[in-house]
Amino acid sequence: MAKQLAFHFDASACNGCKACQIACKDKNDLPLGINWRRVAQYGGGGWLPHPTRPDLVVANNIYAYSMSVACMHCENPACVQACPTNALTKRADGVVLINQDQCVGCRYCEWACPYGAPQFNEAKGVMTKCTFCEDLLAQGQNPACVDSCPARALAYGELSELRAKYGTENAIEPLPAANLTAPALVITPHRHAQASSKGTGHLLNGEEL
Amino acid sequence: MSDQDILTQTLNATPMTRRSFLKWSAAIGGTVALASGGLDVGLKSAQAAPAAEAAPAKTGKWVTAACWHNCGGHRCLNKAYVVDGVVVRQKTDDTHPDSPDFPQNRGCSRGRSQRHQTFGVDRIKYPMKRKNWEPGGGKKELRGKDEWVRISWDEALTLVANEIIRIQGKYGPGSIVSMGSEMNRTLTLFGGYTDVWGSTSWGTWLDSGPILGLGDGLTITSHNDRLDMRNSQLIVIWGENPAWSTQGNAMYFFQAAKKAGAKFIFVDPLYNDSASILADEWIPIRPATDHAMLLGMAHTLLVEDDPKTNPLIDWDFLNRCTVGFDKDHMPQGVDPKENFKDYVMGVTDGVPKTAEWASEICGIDPQRIRQLAREIGMNTRAALLTGWSVARVNNADAWPQMFMTLGCMTGHIGKPGHSTGVSCWEKAANGGPNLVDAGGTGLPSAGTNPVKSRLNNNELWDAIIKGKYTAGYKDVKDINIQMIYHGGTGSALNQKVGMMKGIQAHRKVELVVSHSHFLTSNSKYADIVLPVTTQWERWGYIKGNREVLIWASQVTPPLYEAKDDIWIAAEIAKRLGVDPRKVDALPLAQQVMNQIKGAMVTKDDGKTREPLVTITPDDVKGLAEQGVKVEAQTGRITLTEFREVGQYQVARKPGDKLGFIAFEAFRQDPAKNPIKTATGKFEIYSKAHAEFVKSKGWTEIAPIPTYNKAIEGYEDTFSDWKKKIKGEFPLQLVTIHYRRRSHSIFDNIPQLREVYPQEFMINPADAAARGLQNGDIALIRSRHGKVIRPVFVTERLMPGTVMLGEGAWAELDDATGIDKAGATNILNGAIPTGQGHQGWNSCNVQVEKYNGTLEPDVKWTQRIPVKGA
Repeated sequence: MAKQLAFHFDASACNGCKACQIACKDKNDLPLGINWRRVAQYGGGGWLPHPTRPDLVVANNIYAYSMSVACMHCENPACVQACPTNALTKRADGVVLINQDQCVGCRYCEWACPYGAPQFNEAKGVMTKCTFCEDLLAQGQNPACVDSCPARALAYGELSELRAKYGTENAIEPLPAANLTAPALVITPHRHAQASSKGTGHLLNGEEL
Repeated sequence: MSDQDILTQTLNATPMTRRSFLKWSAAIGGTVALASGGLDVGLKSAQAAPAAEAAPAKTGKWVTAACWHNCGGHRCLNKAYVVDGVVVRQKTDDTHPDSPDFPQNRGCSRGRSQRHQTFGVDRIKYPMKRKNWEPGGGKKELRGKDEWVRISWDEALTLVANEIIRIQGKYGPGSIVSMGSEMNRTLTLFGGYTDVWGSTSWGTWLDSGPILGLGDGLTITSHNDRLDMRNSQLIVIWGENPAWSTQGNAMYFFQAAKKAGAKFIFVDPLYNDSASILADEWIPIRPATDHAMLLGMAHTLLVEDDPKTNPLIDWDFLNRCTVGFDKDHMPQGVDPKENFKDYVMGVTDGVPKTAEWASEICGIDPQRIRQLAREIGMNTRAALLTGWSVARVNNADAWPQMFMTLGCMTGHIGKPGHSTGVSCWEKAANGGPNLVDAGGTGLPSAGTNPVKSRLNNNELWDAIIKGKYTAGYKDVKDINIQMIYHGGTGSALNQKVGMMKGIQAHRKVELVVSHSHFLTSNSKYADIVLPVTTQWERWGYIKGNREVLIWASQVTPPLYEAKDDIWIAAEIAKRLGVDPRKVDALPLAQQVMNQIKGAMVTKDDGKTREPLVTITPDDVKGLAEQGVKVEAQTGRITLTEFREVGQYQVARKPGDKLGFIAFEAFRQDPAKNPIKTATGKFEIYSKAHAEFVKSKGWTEIAPIPTYNKAIEGYEDTFSDWKKKIKGEFPLQLVTIHYRRRSHSIFDNIPQLREVYPQEFMINPADAAARGLQNGDIALIRSRHGKVIRPVFVTERLMPGTVMLGEGAWAELDDATGIDKAGATNILNGAIPTGQGHQGWNSCNVQVEKYNGTLEPDVKWTQRIPVKGA
């Protein structure tokens, strides 16, 4: 089996601080509007009237959790298949990269990816995406997001090893089902996690996501 | 598989989630268009720099960079990668392997945006003068909307000095109110200035905490250290969201306690992000009613406690370590009837403070109040932790005493796993004295300010407008302020209660001067604006927390014409005929080196200390060449190592002798180890406390923690409390520490604006009643001002409560009186109460749909005052 690099995300630890998102933005000098790593919040529940006291309300299963999401460097990457110019490739280590010289800016990959990973740089007319900090990896360093996390919720490694250590979960709301692209992601679920497509909650982010 | 196939399959396979992601993607698409829209936003210098995608390790240098802000966080390590004088990247602590016991000192999204602040396109580049200003004022009403004119440093300094001489001569030294650090030195040496006082972040903990015995929560902590917290079975977090308000490692420390088995209960109007990770239970509570809830719990404890069959109250602790709980434990010379127990039971006033009584006020089911009282009983190893926010309420003077009293009743003080108090700031989740400390700077004092008039934060603007201020109990004095001097780089106008009056005050005086990095609210409404350096442009900076000392070095030479505040203060001194060497009395490099030389670190025995740094004869010689005098000494690490690594961190491990149990010796033998109160014990009855509050001149409170209704708290949302008829302002606003900013700092950083939109949070029921949906614009009105903001409907917030992050830079439209930035001090009134703290979390508002438009903050043009200059 080909080697496959993957991220591990511990949703039981992430408090949604977005240090990873800003670390990514900083390291990669991303302009406004392009965020290779983003933090989604998902939650639900509600309020009920108190059975006897009209002046009180009762919180009913209110929950919330955060999901830090970047490119999944999928085993079956939809972006690679959607690209008409072969600008997107999957390396031997599983990292999915875009060659901007070959990109014509058609944005098919953006449409194909269920995770919103490829993002269009309008000024340059090309797509951009998470590189797994391949330049840092080459120097024996960790991806910027991993080293930034104050909650220690991000890690990376060989997918099979991460699965052996943390399990096989890879589809938690608000992520889409995993069968489409086989994301190289291992999730330690939050205690209130809901399975993809079966959630009862909603995205909690405002306009920033 | 064809392109069409994968697209179709993607869309068809996950209709629900795909839709939510399309929404997510759509938002991103919208912002992409913005980025290319040619707006004057973003970091010009970095964009011009080589892209960081090229591996930077070979061509530049990592410098330990200051992260100096008043952020409430842990004091994290920040590093800047400098290539050809330009910072192209930042990182945080990677100086040692990371582990829960010896963690890296990791920073937040704000610290990681520091280069966008220092090198921001909107930095004030040159001294500026308001176009229509002239000595005496010059169209004062144009402050905040006049044009700016670039002037030379010499002109600026001479103007300011001449006006200080003129205004002081005409109105006296007390006519200058100064809110600046270094300029205070100059003014002290030139006749003095009117000072400003009053607790800000601490709320009533600042003064009440030490008087009563528990401490203020920062300089004196009453919670145990982080490793001991793992011994707690139950951790109650009352009115605090450390994930937002104390970023850095605090949440990581709490996570370790959770892993060790602690149960967490959060009491808060919001199911906040800390609760989402830690909480086993969440008890939603109405803002500003916490005191009532604790009285209900105290009543429950008294009614249900049975030392034999149901021990909830630690009578031994109350007997030995406190005064005032019951009639048998009163201080000498006071009426025994004034004891706390009789007040709770209703003996004193005929009103038993039952869970039902509390419930009507705080909004919590009486059963839940009783249940929490039982859960924190004496035989649970519990940590009762709170933030300062609950004490930032009008009339909250008795709150710290109430919180302390509950800790005393349940005996959660002075034992492993047990503690009671404030867990905040750099001591969040990690109480105890510092294990490593910097020495003093050695900067000589400039002397005592000869002017005695001092204005409280709550009366500051009114005093300027009306000419009167409260100097003490039944002591109102006249004052005539004609000059406002904003030194430092804060934003007092934006950050003190009652900003609408603040603007009026700024338009009344003859001169407003402001030092700043940006056109902050202070500077926007000023006449003379002086550009100052950031810490990245200065020789060095020392900061730390309980386990860490950081030595930050200069990252860049001063940018544009920016100067250090102390240089400005000394130059103005020259022009006033004051000896500038008394102002700028010690070079910064010497001050920093004094701090480093004097730094002490606790040895492994937990008792003795040693110097942190070894200074060799070669170091002495090298520093002398830079004009820094220092003697050789032997310490734990070399000077070079400290500078290169940028921090020293004390290694901790379970079982070491560096832990902290607050009040352990006192609990064991209170007579031998008295605490610093009038009686040497925790004062549930404190005459000193009541007299302290009375002496300020606004409010009187009892010596025991009775319930004092907050001004603009829950009760004030009703026009008729008994019939429960709501009034004109039926909602309670809580002003939270918002992740975009450290108070007002960083509000202007585009990449932070992008991820934190300064949304207005409202519960679905309150939103529906007003026809509000996500994305609508709400008009929020209080008795004091109006703001508009995008609506964010969330069930995480308790009905009746709304929230907005504090610190946004006000964008007030004079014609409509509406601020579009959502600056909370436009809504918060200046209401002097008690000990003169600011009551930001007691504010009544009404909300309605706003029919105008509001662009997202990230699309706003930045404040660049002199175009093209």
